Amino acid sequence: MKRRHGPVRPRRFDFVDVTLRDAHQCLWSTRMTTAMMTPILGAIDRAGYAYINILGGAVFDVCVRYLHENPWERVKLLCSRLATPCDALTRGQSLYTFELFPDDIVALNSQVFARLGVKVLTVYDALNDNRNIESSVRSGHEAGMKVNAMMTYTLSPVHTDAYYVERTKELVKLKADFICIKDPTGLLTPERGRTLFPAVVKAAGSVPMQLHSHCQSGLAPEVYQIAIASGFRFGYTASEPLANGASLPATEDIAARAARLGVRTAVEAAALKEVAGYFSCLCESEGKPRGEIAKYDPALYEHQIPGGMISNLRYQLQTMKLEHRLPEILEEVPRVREDLGYPIVVSPFAQYVVTQATLNVVQRERYKTIPDEIRKYAMGYYGRLAAPPSAEFLERANIRPGDVVTERPAEHIEPWIPKLRAELGASVPDEDLLLAAFYDKALLAPLRNPAPGCTFRTSPLQELIRFFGTRRDIEFAHVRFAGTEMTFSAQAS
Amino acid sequence: MPRQDLTYDDVLRIVELVKTAPFSEFRLKVGDIEVHLRRRNGLDGEVQSSPAAVATARAAAPAPSAAREPERRFPEGSVLVRSPMVGTFYRAPAPDAAPFVEVGQHVEPDTTVCIIEVMKLMNSIAADTRGVVVEILAANGAHVEHGELLMAIRPDPEDG
Repeated sequence: MKRRHGPVRPRRFDFVDVTLRDAHQCLWSTRMTTAMMTPILGAIDRAGYAYINILGGAVFDVCVRYLHENPWERVKLLCSRLATPCDALTRGQSLYTFELFPDDIVALNSQVFARLGVKVLTVYDALNDNRNIESSVRSGHEAGMKVNAMMTYTLSPVHTDAYYVERTKELVKLKADFICIKDPTGLLTPERGRTLFPAVVKAAGSVPMQLHSHCQSGLAPEVYQIAIASGFRFGYTASEPLANGASLPATEDIAARAARLGVRTAVEAAALKEVAGYFSCLCESEGKPRGEIAKYDPALYEHQIPGGMISNLRYQLQTMKLEHRLPEILEEVPRVREDLGYPIVVSPFAQYVVTQATLNVVQRERYKTIPDEIRKYAMGYYGRLAAPPSAEFLERANIRPGDVVTERPAEHIEPWIPKLRAELGASVPDEDLLLAAFYDKALLAPLRNPAPGCTFRTSPLQELIRFFGTRRDIEFAHVRFAGTEMTFSAQAS
Repeated sequence: MPRQDLTYDDVLRIVELVKTAPFSEFRLKVGDIEVHLRRRNGLDGEVQSSPAAVATARAAAPAPSAAREPERRFPEGSVLVRSPMVGTFYRAPAPDAAPFVEVGQHVEPDTTVCIIEVMKLMNSIAADTRGVVVEILAANGAHVEHGELLMAIRPDPEDG
């Protein structure tokens, strides 16, 4: 019998949709409501995605704080309406926030996911300390879900290919069903992919690899192509109008690249076109931006700050009348990052690095003020650091060797459920108990309001009418098409 | 053959025309599609925000900061604790916890007297001096400016 040599090229590449999650998180500050999603779910379901990512930390949080939607209701509705299996992401032991939760809350969250219909639990830890996802992986499996474990990519002298191979081996050992490289700031390059991807594919063995990379540098589509050629099995992508820029690559683009490599995909072009058409119209009706292909910016590789965060920082500096200090702050960021042992510039550590850099610049003295969370981070309360902090920082923070903790971070946290049950009553639904664990009562009150109605179908004509309805300059509109005729007029104000 | 379906591409072309053409009356007839619009005078074409977007904007708008009193004078030798940054002033470590310090309380240099939340991170502010808290000048939860006075401490007389 003839034996095959060389790398085995996968016969197919499959897609995980992020249009309902990361795409609007990056481009619309996470403000896509459930009612904006439901009309097009049928077409998304027909588009041939392997999984549809419907939840992440920011989506959960924005649902509660700003959209005043109950996030569990959204999860339940999307899971019940979509035949394609749904994927929900958490920040591991931190779930949706930046603090660490006890194991019992993490386990209850997994049970609630499974009960609401989530099929894949995707989980990451912002320090790549896999002890912080152990509890999620175990409880996700116990609840009957598959678990996709992510490791976060960053650039630093310590985040080498060997570092990621080590993390991959840990995740294989944890029995992850998928392993994903998550590149939240779009720092991967084709060159790095050529060495990193084959190395992790080999280390992952039979566990399929996924890629989740953003387009800030404009290089992500090329990077996906390298991943496909290296044997990755899945890629996270978005519908074309909500792809690119700070978002992820377009499904259409990556499917075409796979086809050119001779790799089969399951995507259905007609359904993708319908989905893209709908979201293009929605951008117009809602006055929201489309994703624009980013210009290559070499500074990105220095400060590594996600695009959304820079605009947020600029806004905050504006309110402090300190906008002119932004360039100085961006220069201070890589120095702070080195001092802090190269945290990955992703939530919440992006916030740490940027805030410390801002304090250093504004106070004209480095580390005069050090936020409590940064001291705790440096002492290991959130997990293992990629490299030891600098002597200058440790001295200013007054951290001595004896202050450093080495056990799994959640070991420090007592169970919460008994206390919450006692407070809320034994019959409180698990969903409400979790919300009470995450948020103050006052924030949860608006969630009791009835949810706005959703429609589950639409058409180009309906979207045209919706667009006219949002224009306050149009006082009269008459549309006739193929036997349909509609007239609207607005009262002159 | 007449087209059976209006496509999203058709819609987007119409949207583009509506957005860019400076019309007061607009009639379009392409194949089966007929659109007739009249525009009000004097209004720009900005898309009306949906209720969700309005709610969001409201939630995201920073709370207006109260007008501030002119800076006060304190007895000579008072040590003034100032905010290191623009942020939110908290007197206690948690909403239901007791305040770090009260007026009249004696503090050591490393006693935490308050927290300033800066960009969602908590900064414990130390007294930096040994003495007695004589006044707390900011209200719990107040927005404070860079350098704003938070507390006044009367230092203990030097020994010897």
